[in-house]
Amino acid sequence: MKLKYSIYALFAVLVLLTGCGLDNVDAPASKLMGKITYGGAPIGVRGSGEAIRLQAYQDGYELHNSFDIFVAQDGTFEATVFDGVYKVVCRDNNGPWLNSRDTLTVNVSGTTACEYPVTPYYMIENETIALSGNTLNASCLVKKIVGDKPIERVMLLLSKTSFVDDVSQIARKDWEKPEVGTLNLSMDVSGSQSENALFARIGVKIEGVGDALYSTIVRLK
Amino acid sequence: MKTSLYISALAVSLSLCSGCSDFLDRESDQIIPTEDVFNDPKMIQSALANFYGRQDWCQRITEDELYKQLDEVCKSDGGPDNTQNFDFINDDNKDHNNKWRVYDYVLIRNINEFLESLRASTVLDATAKAEVEGQARFLRAWTYFNTVRTIGGMPIVGDKVFDYEVGMDISSIQLPRATEAEVYDYIIKECADIAPMLSDKATVNAGRANKWAALSLKARAALYAGSLAKYNNLMSSPITTPGGEVGIPAEKAQGYYQIALATAQEIITTGPYKLRTSNPDRARNFYEAVCVKDNNEEVIWARDYKYPGQTHGFTTRNIPGELREEIDASCMTPVLNLVEAYEYANDRDGELRLKDGKGEYIGYDNVLDVFGNKDARLGGTVMLPGSTFRGKTVNFQAGRKYLENGEWKDQIGALGEKDAKGNIITALNGPIETNDQNVNKTGFAFRKFMDETIGSGTRGRGSEMWFVRFRFAETLLVAAEAAMELGQTPEALGYINQVRERAGIQRLTTISLDDIVNENRVEFAFEDHRLPDLRRWRLAHKVWDGVVGASASHYVLFPFVVNQPGHPLDGKWVFDKKLCRMSTYPRYFKLQNYYGFIKQEWIDKNPKLVKNPYQ
Repeated sequence: MKLKYSIYALFAVLVLLTGCGLDNVDAPASKLMGKITYGGAPIGVRGSGEAIRLQAYQDGYELHNSFDIFVAQDGTFEATVFDGVYKVVCRDNNGPWLNSRDTLTVNVSGTTACEYPVTPYYMIENETIALSGNTLNASCLVKKIVGDKPIERVMLLLSKTSFVDDVSQIARKDWEKPEVGTLNLSMDVSGSQSENALFARIGVKIEGVGDALYSTIVRLK
Repeated sequence: MKTSLYISALAVSLSLCSGCSDFLDRESDQIIPTEDVFNDPKMIQSALANFYGRQDWCQRITEDELYKQLDEVCKSDGGPDNTQNFDFINDDNKDHNNKWRVYDYVLIRNINEFLESLRASTVLDATAKAEVEGQARFLRAWTYFNTVRTIGGMPIVGDKVFDYEVGMDISSIQLPRATEAEVYDYIIKECADIAPMLSDKATVNAGRANKWAALSLKARAALYAGSLAKYNNLMSSPITTPGGEVGIPAEKAQGYYQIALATAQEIITTGPYKLRTSNPDRARNFYEAVCVKDNNEEVIWARDYKYPGQTHGFTTRNIPGELREEIDASCMTPVLNLVEAYEYANDRDGELRLKDGKGEYIGYDNVLDVFGNKDARLGGTVMLPGSTFRGKTVNFQAGRKYLENGEWKDQIGALGEKDAKGNIITALNGPIETNDQNVNKTGFAFRKFMDETIGSGTRGRGSEMWFVRFRFAETLLVAAEAAMELGQTPEALGYINQVRERAGIQRLTTISLDDIVNENRVEFAFEDHRLPDLRRWRLAHKVWDGVVGASASHYVLFPFVVNQPGHPLDGKWVFDKKLCRMSTYPRYFKLQNYYGFIKQEWIDKNPKLVKNPYQ
């Protein structure tokens, strides 16, 4: 009688143990990495608040739902996925570039790098940002690339962390409707001198476009 | 012993067996068959009442979130509100209850089932039947209206009740989205069709929809469609989908404005409603016009509440701390932005006069004096420092001010603290700038929709205050806006000046959209107009631009008493205008927030639904 129970118990344990190996799938380990570029140069965007996203689709399933890939503030993105063929497309009217929504097909196998080329309305070039005493001086060349959308405002942003955008900032100054071309900006930052670290960047908000274009981030101290 | 056990076992099993036959055969006491409902006039009314109770969307007094996110009130019941933007309008994860995205095709199907059975029923005479059918179709049109103004054009089902049988082609009952214009046209046509079926008398507590509610919806829908057609196409990049599910062609604006004006004029000239002007105390008069049900002359349709059973906790949650009847109080408090939107009687700029040209405080003998000569609706909408509620003075005092080395310093006490002479340092109501729960944070409280009945601030009873959906002042402002857009300036001025005169402020001699925007803001504060209005005028992304400043940031007003013997300001009230600590970020409305996103779940069930812009 006792032996019979032990056999049952053993059987149950065995079933449970073997079950573990059978129904689980390994977690995805491949990486889909890339950056958003124009002519090879990365485009700076807002990195916080899930602002800029790409959508990735995979064909061959009953329901056609995309998953989001969030774009970091330097224009790079990364997703951990299974090996396979993915179709990457930017979200409708998301980001400071022409809304052409070209599909990029990526065959992911292990770590795969790709570039998602876009045509931005403007580019920020030759940016220099430096602290001189209590004044933050910045200059850059804002170059029109495509379209006839005017610039709504230029922002000079200061942050105490390396995340800098229109919301993640401790000081900000706006210039409404500036001329396209070389811009010289300066802002008083005496109130932020006590911070241990300071980072800054320039943002350009284009009229009728939801998301602003940003320069690279400069560490001031 | 054993025998008796067997006998009892036999008895039990026998009784069980005989019980079986009718136990499983009896009629359900939970489900009432359709034929029973439609053979009894009272049951028909009950089924209809169910549809009235299911119209809970967008801003309403039972849902705090939908106030705090705009620029009327801020969070006050604890730590700061970290809302940064309006993505809760679009996002699946942040809009659990579909507060801002109305997609209730279950309700539309239920109403269609009701209509099908009602039309086959013989228990009502033709007039009574038309009356019930009209109300059901009104509620259906109101549902579509809330859908189209939150997520754009969606499928129009009409009167169809779909049945699914195993094996049938499912795609035949998956309808594609209608265009935004088609849905507005459908609502306008439905309202025009049902208006003659409905009663033209004012209903008890405006709880039932009558002819004038149908016409009010028609006028509002036409006005929304007209302004969407006009202002969307004036944007630098209009928000549209290729199939027109979002985006109304600009050439349709004129026609919609004409419908809106004609419909509003019909209500004005032939309806039983008028602006209430009987109380000479204009602020009190405005409160009575909106919030007192007895002998109300103005409210056309409202969500009514009645004790017992149908009450809500708006008064309980938002009453000032001193007057509370429960532990709850001051969950939301109006911000200074709204207060300053009210004009002075003879000055269009409503900014409060707090400092003189040299930057020195202006002292006021009485705390209410700072609001002197303001639009009377301010006092009827917001409980100001020093005003009265339920016969008691509502005192807001943040602290006292004194001079130290020529600079004004604040003395802030604990709530209700007094000095040795018995003078108040900080009032029991606040306002304060800490995270303390249920203490006022702005210096103002709600008055509109605040119930004066004793006991209405308890959790057990709750408040019977209604939530107004249509009232006569809106009819006038619809007419004013439509006439203004059609270039009929004298008519437009005539309508808007009726509303302004009732409020005790100067008549306008010219009229622009800015006048309409502000008039709607102050007249209909807390009444579910602000967000949809700014959306249809495509102003939301300009007003809530995410930049710290007058239009996007919340501000508060902290009253202080000067305690500096010998100083000319001693004993007078002075006021600090500050950024609201409770609202950490300025309001930031992105272009994608104009239309909520189409949920993936809806697309999975109906692949014909196309996505909205920015999605």
